Amino acid sequence: MNTCEFDRRRFLQWTGAGLFATLSAQLSLESLASAASASPLASNTPILVIVTLYGGNDGLNTVVPFTDPTYQSARSNIALSSSQLLPFTSTLAFNASIPNISALYAQNKVAIVQGVSYPEPSLSHFSSMAIWQSASLSAEVSTGWIGRWLDLQPHNALNAIGIGSTLPPLMVGEKSVASMVDIGGVQLPWGQAASQIPKLGRTSSSDIPFVAADATSITDLYATAQALGPLLTSSPTGSNINQQLAVVSTLINGNVPTRVWEVNLSSLDTHVSEVGVQNELLAELDGAIGAFMTAISAGSRSNDVTVMIYSEFGRRVMSNAGGGTDHGTSAPVFIIGNGVKGGLYGDQPPLSSLDENGNLQVTTDFRNVYGGLLEGVLGTPVKDIIPSWNTSLSVL
Amino acid sequence: MPRYITWVRAHISTAQRVATSRLVHRFNFGPRPGQYLEMLQRGVEATQTSVLEHGVADPGLNSLPTPSLPNLGPIPAPNASNVSTFWNTLYANQSELVLWWLDRMALADYPLTERMTWFWHGHWATSNSKVFYPLTMQRQNNTLRRYALANFGDMARAMVVDGALNYWLDNEDNYLSSPNENLARELMELMTIGVNNFTQRDVTAAARALTGYSTYQPTGAVTFDAQQHYSKPLTILDKTARYDAQSLASLLVSTDFNAKFITDRMWFRFVSGTTKPPPALEGSFARRDIYALVDSLARSSAWNDPANSLVKSPVEWFIGACRATKVRPSTLTANALQWCLEQMGQVPFNPPNVGGWPYGQAWLSGVAFQYRFEVTELLMTKADLSPISVPKSKMVQACADWLGVPEWSRRTANALDGVSDNPSDFVTLALLSPEYAVSV
Repeated sequence: MNTCEFDRRRFLQWTGAGLFATLSAQLSLESLASAASASPLASNTPILVIVTLYGGNDGLNTVVPFTDPTYQSARSNIALSSSQLLPFTSTLAFNASIPNISALYAQNKVAIVQGVSYPEPSLSHFSSMAIWQSASLSAEVSTGWIGRWLDLQPHNALNAIGIGSTLPPLMVGEKSVASMVDIGGVQLPWGQAASQIPKLGRTSSSDIPFVAADATSITDLYATAQALGPLLTSSPTGSNINQQLAVVSTLINGNVPTRVWEVNLSSLDTHVSEVGVQNELLAELDGAIGAFMTAISAGSRSNDVTVMIYSEFGRRVMSNAGGGTDHGTSAPVFIIGNGVKGGLYGDQPPLSSLDENGNLQVTTDFRNVYGGLLEGVLGTPVKDIIPSWNTSLSVL
Repeated sequence: MPRYITWVRAHISTAQRVATSRLVHRFNFGPRPGQYLEMLQRGVEATQTSVLEHGVADPGLNSLPTPSLPNLGPIPAPNASNVSTFWNTLYANQSELVLWWLDRMALADYPLTERMTWFWHGHWATSNSKVFYPLTMQRQNNTLRRYALANFGDMARAMVVDGALNYWLDNEDNYLSSPNENLARELMELMTIGVNNFTQRDVTAAARALTGYSTYQPTGAVTFDAQQHYSKPLTILDKTARYDAQSLASLLVSTDFNAKFITDRMWFRFVSGTTKPPPALEGSFARRDIYALVDSLARSSAWNDPANSLVKSPVEWFIGACRATKVRPSTLTANALQWCLEQMGQVPFNPPNVGGWPYGQAWLSGVAFQYRFEVTELLMTKADLSPISVPKSKMVQACADWLGVPEWSRRTANALDGVSDNPSDFVTLALLSPEYAVSV
């Protein structure tokens, strides 16, 4: 088979398309910083929070078809028992590790899109995550879907923010990238050298792309510090994902002009001892989502925020002897928010009709989910971000 | 000032400065004081030969004994009396191992072996986060160093029965009755032949070939039990045979996919993510001789192509700064250093996932800059700044020649001029400049 010059692993490591020297050359530190502090996000502006689950979260042990005899027989060593389940229909139950999401579902604030993936799903973490983050089945596309959205906006360091230090590929565009914020807050350089450091952030038309990108990140650090620093006065606590989402809720409630946020949780690659590991990670996620929704509800943006939770794939229907599952295909995507029309979307892939590898069928294309979010939250036609894609699934 | 410095400045082209900077940064973690100017004077060919030197006794490492880590045995029960001693020792050993490796990178007189070991660590990416035991990680690190410039087939056959890798990728739970695919898939996809060059059937069969091996987690010792091994013929990549771990590795390494895959990976990490390796480069890996490939790469014309810039990863940036300022990493405040590396996303022995380290622009965030600044603050407590003890008017150029920067932008030269009264601030700004963060 053909190997592409930029295989999918490269895409995830790379995030290096951004050739934005000319645009960023026009920006000055002063203009960015004043724009950030003087332009709080307008009331009622929709906000998207993306939660990436790395490793391949097992959808079948998250939203569980607990009455299906195949679920019990194929997963005899990892099937959740009735005490580990929170049923919400006659055939489906939440993993009891996610009580907050279950409660939000009961309030019609959670859309569960079932069977989500894309045609001929890849069982590679890196290929599949690259497809999800680029929103393209072609390995030639090196920009992320939010990165392409950023490219359509006037540049502002605060348009999109990721929590962490390394840029996630979904937030890298051709001309613009998201800013990153650490859970430890924004700390500007100090001491005598500090007065000269902003000069290092000036770009010039003779800069090569990586140099321009680095200079821009320095300037953007000052812009984010000015806008966000005063809001991040206390250190978040709890699990890492809880801390990430606490930073996001604090900044959303502080009216920073950011439309897209990204947080992530790793280690869901449960080839062995799945129940303990996944339940613990799901409980961390659920606790963080619960605290986030509570925090948002206390502010003025509670109707503006939509959260999407996804992973690169689900897992094999049949468990292995190590109490784990190997790489699979489709899985549910959660969309959560006060403005979401809660309920089930798409069809639950039947356990009785699997593909040649023993994996679930795909019933919903993830690009339709993105389409609904692009059009409903970000106000951008899906075809502008995903070329030649015209359909979308609205849950708002 | 030695006369040759004047000569170098008068006669050396920007192109040669770029090529020389690339060679010394990418294969040797960056120049020591004076080394860049010497290389410029001797020419690109001599520089290529010089960065490729390896395999001889390295006096730079004489003062650096290999840590003798204890076998800590099984993890004690949470209420056992020795539980806190166990974890304290384990974390101390982890830290010792990280600092020892950083020291090796910074102190080696012939850094190519450490540079290649670092590359292979990212390639066979295994993390302490799951393996836990530093002794087990050290064993893998020794294997990677032993084969770093040797035969890739030998490396693959050693790594496929490496305890840390086996534990990390769950081969511990790969049973005859029910294969676990984790090691089989990643061995093919990420370590030997590349994605899309095998089918799910190949994964299932390869997983069977890997049954029967078990790892003692505290030491990384791997034992083979023929009774637990799938001994019937298997068909993998259309070749039917009875396979074990080593013959599976040999099969994968023998494919044409392997030559292309490893050549591409080397190009991607040492040269560029935006240009392609010349087809001839793959030929130099025909015998799976890693050194032959590295030699061809270093002697290729890639260094003259302006497109072949790379972003230094946090460790590469830090080690370059240590080599220039003669700082031994383990003399810095260890907790602060490791905290900064962790926040930047790159602690040795702890890659984020089996795919290895991020690349390129991913490292260029404001947050990363924030921690690069904190690292320079640590460095300045120990740094030898004598290379810029020159008249003020010559400091900017002397600093470029010292750090191996082809040329400063006006932005950086301007910022440096603003702090020429204070050598420590001057060097802080130079190390934080975009021209030093990037191997241009």
